[in-house]
Amino acid sequence: MARSLKFNIFRYNPQDSESTPHMESFVLEETDSMTLFIALNRIREEQDPSLQFDFCCRAGICGSCGMVINGRPGLACHTKTKDLPADITLLPLPVFQLVGDLSVDTGSWFRELYDTVESWIHTKKVFDPAAPEERMEDEVAESIYELDRCIECGCCIAACGTARMRPDFLGAAGINKVGRFLIDPRDERTEQDYYEIIGTDMGIFGCMGLLACEDVCPKHMPLQNQLGFLRRKMGITALKNFFGK
Amino acid sequence: MQTIYTDVLVIGAGLAGERAAIEAAQAGFSAICLSLVPSRRSHSSAAMGGMQAALGNCAKGDGDCPDVHFSDTVKGSDWGCDQEVARMFADNAPIEMRRLAHWGVPWGRVVPGKGSYFKGGKLYDKEEKEENRGLINSRDFGGTAKWRTCYVSDGTGHSVLYTVDNVCAKLGVEVHDKTEAISLIHDGATCFGAVARCLRTGELRVYLAKASVIATGGFGRIYPGTTNAVICDGGGHITALNTGIVPMGNMEAVQFHPTGIVPTEILVTEGCRGDGGTLLDVNEERFMHVYEPEKQELASRDVVARWMTHHIRQGKGVKSPYGDHLWLDIRHLGEKHITGKLREVYEICTSFLGVDPIHQLIPVRPTHHYSMGGVRTNKDGAAYGLGGLFSVGEAACWDMHGFNRLGGNSLAETVVAGGIVGKKIAEFLQGAEVTFNSAVIDAEVKKQQERIQNVIRCKAGTENVYKVRAAMQDALFKGANIFRTKEGLTECIATLQETLARARKVGLKSNGLGVNPELSAALKIEGQVKMALMLSCGALNRTESRGSHNREDFPARNDRDWLSRTLAYWKSETDDLPTLKYEAATQVFHIPPGDRGYGKSEIIKADAKAESKGE
Amino acid sequence: MSLSSTANHPTLNARRMDGVLDWAQMLSGVGLIAFMWAHMLLVGSVLLSPAIMNDIAEFFEKSGMAQVGGPLIFLLFMAHFVLAARKIPFRLENQKTIWEHAKLLHHADTWLWVVQASTAMVILIMGAIHMWAVLSDLPIVALKCAETLQKNKWWLAFYLLLAPLVHVHLGIGLYRIAVKWGFAGRAERKGLKRFVNVLILVSVGISVLTLFRFWFMEA
Repeated sequence: MARSLKFNIFRYNPQDSESTPHMESFVLEETDSMTLFIALNRIREEQDPSLQFDFCCRAGICGSCGMVINGRPGLACHTKTKDLPADITLLPLPVFQLVGDLSVDTGSWFRELYDTVESWIHTKKVFDPAAPEERMEDEVAESIYELDRCIECGCCIAACGTARMRPDFLGAAGINKVGRFLIDPRDERTEQDYYEIIGTDMGIFGCMGLLACEDVCPKHMPLQNQLGFLRRKMGITALKNFFGK
Repeated sequence: MQTIYTDVLVIGAGLAGERAAIEAAQAGFSAICLSLVPSRRSHSSAAMGGMQAALGNCAKGDGDCPDVHFSDTVKGSDWGCDQEVARMFADNAPIEMRRLAHWGVPWGRVVPGKGSYFKGGKLYDKEEKEENRGLINSRDFGGTAKWRTCYVSDGTGHSVLYTVDNVCAKLGVEVHDKTEAISLIHDGATCFGAVARCLRTGELRVYLAKASVIATGGFGRIYPGTTNAVICDGGGHITALNTGIVPMGNMEAVQFHPTGIVPTEILVTEGCRGDGGTLLDVNEERFMHVYEPEKQELASRDVVARWMTHHIRQGKGVKSPYGDHLWLDIRHLGEKHITGKLREVYEICTSFLGVDPIHQLIPVRPTHHYSMGGVRTNKDGAAYGLGGLFSVGEAACWDMHGFNRLGGNSLAETVVAGGIVGKKIAEFLQGAEVTFNSAVIDAEVKKQQERIQNVIRCKAGTENVYKVRAAMQDALFKGANIFRTKEGLTECIATLQETLARARKVGLKSNGLGVNPELSAALKIEGQVKMALMLSCGALNRTESRGSHNREDFPARNDRDWLSRTLAYWKSETDDLPTLKYEAATQVFHIPPGDRGYGKSEIIKADAKAESKGE
Repeated sequence: MSLSSTANHPTLNARRMDGVLDWAQMLSGVGLIAFMWAHMLLVGSVLLSPAIMNDIAEFFEKSGMAQVGGPLIFLLFMAHFVLAARKIPFRLENQKTIWEHAKLLHHADTWLWVVQASTAMVILIMGAIHMWAVLSDLPIVALKCAETLQKNKWWLAFYLLLAPLVHVHLGIGLYRIAVKWGFAGRAERKGLKRFVNVLILVSVGISVLTLFRFWFMEA
């Protein structure tokens, strides 16, 4: 028998002077294979067309639909209602700027991050269209991709205790991004260069090891291992700098 | 109102748009990309399989070269493509893959030594050469003579998009995300930029540019079920067709992908079949080898989708509450391969279907996937009809895909075309001077403000935008699907005309303040129905079957009468039907029309006598 | 474009202390963990026999290690507090944030951190009292300890509270160091958690038994 689902959804439209932050409830009959993507769209189309939320690929690939689902940051598109109780509470991801209702501005946050960590290959080599590609071991390529898989949904940031307390913290997504370039042989930056970026409390040493990032990551990125690896690596650089003078 | 000036305005920040912006930025011009979503969420990121480029590094790609790639592409297009464009594409693809490697894409690389692979469910041996160790590897895809598809696991689009977006960040290409262009500013001869709506505040902004580029991807969302992302709603096309001057090319050429999952229509990559996955029917028996002894599961997508539909019609489909479907079997590829090179497929199956593809079959059926048609451009990417307007990527009809695109050719097109068109834009900008006419700008802004107010205040009526949209999608699904007939299309057009009348009467239920999603949908609906009409009218007129356009009443490919490209115009805002014109499919023939080698179809030759018409 | 426009000179940056302080926090924690276990075993030796405990205490006092080591441990204790306090929210606003965050998230490791931070505050005060009380009244003799406890029941209550708090703080600290510095990876995390749970139980058990041994010790 189909359940009747009650959605408690955070509502606030900052562009509407009469709107104030509040929770609003919507009731829907559950259908077969229902996901939050299906449910939220039905609420918008049948009950309240002003409801704001973000979906894009709706296949768990693009990272648009991060929201707090019954307390846990996650991707709404691949969350099936049958895995949830009949009472479902949806909140926008904290840390990010609110656009309205469940929609937040992850774009600006991450764009700033790219500039902070300079998330591109730093090389003095100039591309030669006539030359064959530089060789790389397949294993190396695969290990880079393993870290490149992050979809920047912002769940790890929203789940991070440090990020909630200090706005300049790079978060797991940011630190992992540096790790991705650190293992890439094409990037000519030195350990010292990376240390400049993440060797602070804004970076790896700000991490308190609560591991919520590891536990909520919808792509199961190896964040715990990556953060541990970078803390040791940057820790050693810190000691070298300290005693090397 | 905020007015922003830039040399190049790119509408859309997916791979094609960003790649073009990079060329302009490298030439010293300022570039801004507008995007509905943060650029890395663009639908390019969802392309899993890979990019075709004739590098010929892997054993099964030995002897590959751009000529072979070109010939595969022309055959794949069923001779509907512009051969000059396809040639440029094939020649430039390998260089572009290497450039991406230089920029940081972690391409899969050749591992020397003996290995095995699956084809049609059987195991074969291969040996990779030591001398090719560490060069860019390729996998097999449909409709190709060689293994040619470069890949990054099954996150190729994701990885390439992130890399290209990184280069944009490095070069200072601005991305204004959560910004939607709602109309082009032009004086009938030159495009001056666009009026855009901010999706953070709902305010309008004016972007002025010497060159504007439409790179908004496909428009699959005019169909009810599609693999396309929610944002692939044709917003960019609508701004172009609303000019009344810029034509849409080959809108009837719509690709259905063989393996959309049932239900939810999410795509599982062609890489599944490329890596040796098979299609099974209700009896869990293969059938593609019966229809296509040579290419089997790896014939081109139009052919496989057609046979699958045919097979289901024969009663061999698997019954389900969501309609009949078939099975995709990748179990024999093994756990390591499935959770490694097909990891995304594994995740989609487990989290959306509750199916474990290591031990279970995946329910699939042909699903709307790609629009070969779009804003018609010349080979430089310049749109027909308006100076200073360009288009690139899936949004454009550049036209290297003709009536069917090969798997791995579209993701490759984004960057290859982006590079080529981007260079042309940079050339266009050298010394180009534009005089912006403030009267034209103000008039366009006023028009858009009025349009928005009218919809909010329900001036023309109170039609529900979501119901109108559903009616349009339903009409297309019924009338302009994989198999098409005169009756079906005629009815489809009649329904769409009624829908158009309703779309013009849409009014909001909500207050329309801020980033109102109902308003966003309402501003697009009329344009979407117009696109649906261009598609179905083009399909009704085209009395032949070519590539993915299948007329059951005209099953032959007719090179005598239809070796042409449809150009659809919406001449006047008040028109109820598009105006269709035609041009030759290609100016230059490197390969004359012939047999594709798969997809058994009758061909009416270009020099056939008129009596045989309609056979 | 890739050059940073901030005026920080590289050599200034390289002197940044964040990493060194993080090391110091971890090492001071490790030092205190080692000390506490040794401490627990030394005092716990009373379970075997008060004489053994007295001998051990005497050895440390005769060699002067208690007189010198005691204050040193106190310094280490304070240093650890100062170092770890860099991450503890002292402003009400931040405390509210982290509390709401923990309540929202239903995430065990986040709660563990809240426990860690709160036990730290209590241990700071109680530990200081304990150290002052013991070090200002050397030598340490089993009977004297027993008398102190028996004379004033508040001391028993004091230690019955302090001992579990310390061991919980220690256990979580050990777990946190291991995962934070990557000594335990994703694969080891579950096992580590189980190990730490057992460790806390055993340590608390030994400590409580020790306290009761003093409580029931007859003159």
